[in-house]
Amino acid sequence: MQAPYPNEKRMVIAMKRILFLALLVLTPFIIFFGSTATARNLDLSTVPKRNAVQLTIYNSEDLTLVRETRVVSFKKGINPLQFSWANTLIDPTSVELQFPGKAHSIQVLDTTFPHDKPQMLYWNVASEQEQEAKIEISYFTSGISWSADYTAIANPEETFLSLEGFVRIRNQSGEEYENAQVRLVVGSINLVEKIAELAQISPGEVEELEEQNFKVYKRKAARQMMEAPLETFYAIGSSRKDEVAEEPKEVAKEGLGEYFIYTIEGTETIPNGWAKQLRSFEAAKVPIKVEYRYRPREYGDQLVRLYLLENEIASGLGTTPLPNGRVQVLRANGRGGLSFLTSHAIKYVPIGDRIELNLGADPEVVFELIRLKTFRDNIWMQVKGGSIYHKVGSRELQLDVKNRVSGWDEHKEFSQRIRNYTGKPIKVAVRRSYNGDVTFRSELNPKLHDYKTVEFSAEVPKAGRVDLIHEIITRNGHNAKQDRVKLEKR
Amino acid sequence: MRNNVRIHVILTLLLLALPIVPLEAWGRIKLITLPIRERVEIQLDHPQATLVEEERIVPLVKGINQVDFSWANTRISPDSLIFRVLNDPDSPDQAVKVLSVSYPPNENSLVWAVSSTHSGSAQVRISYILDGLEKEFHYRATATHDEKKLNLAQYLRLKNLANEEYKESSISVGFGDQLTRSVGIDETKDLLVARYPEVVVRKTYTADLAQYGYLDTAKKKLKIPMHYVLKNDTANGLGKASLPFGKTRIFQEDGHGGTAFVGEDWGKFTPRDDEMSLYLGVARDIVVKRTIARKERKRINGNLYNYDLIVKYEIENFKESPVTLDIGETLRGLRAELGYQNQRDVQWELGPETTLLGKPDGEKSDADHLLFHVDLPAKKPESKPDKQICKLHILMKNEW
Repeated sequence: MQAPYPNEKRMVIAMKRILFLALLVLTPFIIFFGSTATARNLDLSTVPKRNAVQLTIYNSEDLTLVRETRVVSFKKGINPLQFSWANTLIDPTSVELQFPGKAHSIQVLDTTFPHDKPQMLYWNVASEQEQEAKIEISYFTSGISWSADYTAIANPEETFLSLEGFVRIRNQSGEEYENAQVRLVVGSINLVEKIAELAQISPGEVEELEEQNFKVYKRKAARQMMEAPLETFYAIGSSRKDEVAEEPKEVAKEGLGEYFIYTIEGTETIPNGWAKQLRSFEAAKVPIKVEYRYRPREYGDQLVRLYLLENEIASGLGTTPLPNGRVQVLRANGRGGLSFLTSHAIKYVPIGDRIELNLGADPEVVFELIRLKTFRDNIWMQVKGGSIYHKVGSRELQLDVKNRVSGWDEHKEFSQRIRNYTGKPIKVAVRRSYNGDVTFRSELNPKLHDYKTVEFSAEVPKAGRVDLIHEIITRNGHNAKQDRVKLEKR
Repeated sequence: MRNNVRIHVILTLLLLALPIVPLEAWGRIKLITLPIRERVEIQLDHPQATLVEEERIVPLVKGINQVDFSWANTRISPDSLIFRVLNDPDSPDQAVKVLSVSYPPNENSLVWAVSSTHSGSAQVRISYILDGLEKEFHYRATATHDEKKLNLAQYLRLKNLANEEYKESSISVGFGDQLTRSVGIDETKDLLVARYPEVVVRKTYTADLAQYGYLDTAKKKLKIPMHYVLKNDTANGLGKASLPFGKTRIFQEDGHGGTAFVGEDWGKFTPRDDEMSLYLGVARDIVVKRTIARKERKRINGNLYNYDLIVKYEIENFKESPVTLDIGETLRGLRAELGYQNQRDVQWELGPETTLLGKPDGEKSDADHLLFHVDLPAKKPESKPDKQICKLHILMKNEW
């Protein structure tokens, strides 16, 4: 499906298009100097059209690998080709010309970047015979990006949600790639230079750049993604224009090494400046669990409500990792309408991993920590600042000359009170961290999340309240022997 | 709708709606239809975001249709737009699906590509987050003459700065009935959301030095603020939902068929089962003089001490009606008043000489704050009030 836009705009876009491949037909008008082709004021050129174009877009970097094929007639001998890319964001160091299937009979002799002609290069191609050959030009460009979006709509009972994934492709590259096969790479690669910066480098610096290894790094990073089945690539010239596409396009997903590649069915044209959103997947009935969590380090000092779901086959998902993106979460209100719950970013979710949607605080659940009691015991005194100590209350020898408190245990009893005014029972998981030498004494069946963090949970009936009573014993001063929390049954 | 506001759905029907419309086919002659809004729902149940949902009947032709949605000068969040077809997607008569969404450059618009198996109308619902539709709640409370009950009215104030008009829209605040109103551009509207008649109310008089301070510092007389306290539960005529934060104007029936304005206060967000407390001003007819009657220090060892304290309250009720006085004490505040300050919590016990009513209020007291209720008899006419003396005996332990 092509995005609509007015003819006027299209003409403007066409005017600033890449001038693109000009095959300088061998005529007496062309004069050669050595092995470099240059043209004088009077030229004749032909412009072979693109047969197919493939975009491989990396979401982790502002980087797109473009591969395009054209059919060109070559004469026997030297054939000059000119390639230019005015007003686009192509990295000049990345442009390559190849001849699929013709490696022995045709080859590039040299590549020249003229010093006075911006965003242009010449190739001298040697052909062993007169022949028609399919050429493949590949290069990197910036300005094309993609991102993932998700829309999740929970049923009114909050037992399932429908999850739709989308990919949104934005084209700010200055070029329009018509009927392009679009592939999206999920994963991160290493780049030593930004393509957008390289695209701005003046032609005079190009040869200097050639001496460096930028190209090698970038090629290495993207090479494995380039190995698409060629037959698929070359077949995309067959347009879908005559078909009636009544279903959203399929987005095929396949793993490749540490990456995932999404290939959008058919071809796409995204005009320069436009963005287009396509559905990536749809899972109609993903089971969800609702959980309330208190984890200050993750969610701040509040009890938050979460939808928990799994990226697995049983959920109707699980065939692909979910790229990082923005998820909009809503709930059907039972009257045909929706209620907005939240919108937030989610990080990459591998296959089999859990998806957590944080809905924020729930005004229908009240979460309070109430201190019920404090007392101190096991108080030790230090005698005259020396190394003699004695315990207060012991019957043994008591020295009382300028004694100072040097160690004590502080007992604090708390109620973690949770009141549930929602219409159904809820599950609440609490994490609390304590510094120092601490004993956590309770009947809550707690466990340690780490050396200083206690985790406990409770179920609160609907319209009910629980008081999770626990005692925190902190050993202070001379009494502190450890730096950890110990669990103890009350 | 004003002319400068363009929220509309344009269904672009080319003369022949080709399954895939090649760019070359976009001629200068085209026909568009403008499906009007059939229904609008404004969802105000989220504290930060307003969700607007509008339904339109969109004529579609068999094949692929372009549905253009634009919102010039209106504060719609473009990433929030959802297009849903309400027709049964598996209907044999007409299956309608969204294929893609295109976003043109430098425009507040988008284009949905929608496929339809048959020509005919589809009922669609377009949802989006709208900025500029501001909401706040406020209350009007009228107390009965005897101050035992309140008639509470809850209002929603809607201020439309979104630069779009919504006619006859269904407005939902997440509780109570849905309202149907029109909201014009730049219009502010007060909507009655709920009315709670005869809400049981308790008028409180509170003496709490740490919280409210002195009325007369030299004479150690405490400030005695008055509040109406209403519990958000069904037994008291409320309890249907949390009460949102909002200003409350308070009136009182004057006993002659009219009402008098007695003040206003901010009502805090009040979950169900919690209490909303509305400040009415300072009572002049109840006098509480608070003094530290005893401060004894006992050294346990070295720099370790226990304290034996008595806080004395001399209370007079000049009103000719009995009232209940709430007396609050903060243990940290009491320790600081004695001249000792540290970061440790106070270890304390109630002493045997306490004459305040036995135990502190269990629901409203904790390890650092105590609340007692003291019943004060009415003053007899033509006579001085009886002075009631209460003592709070505190044993403060293990301080250094």
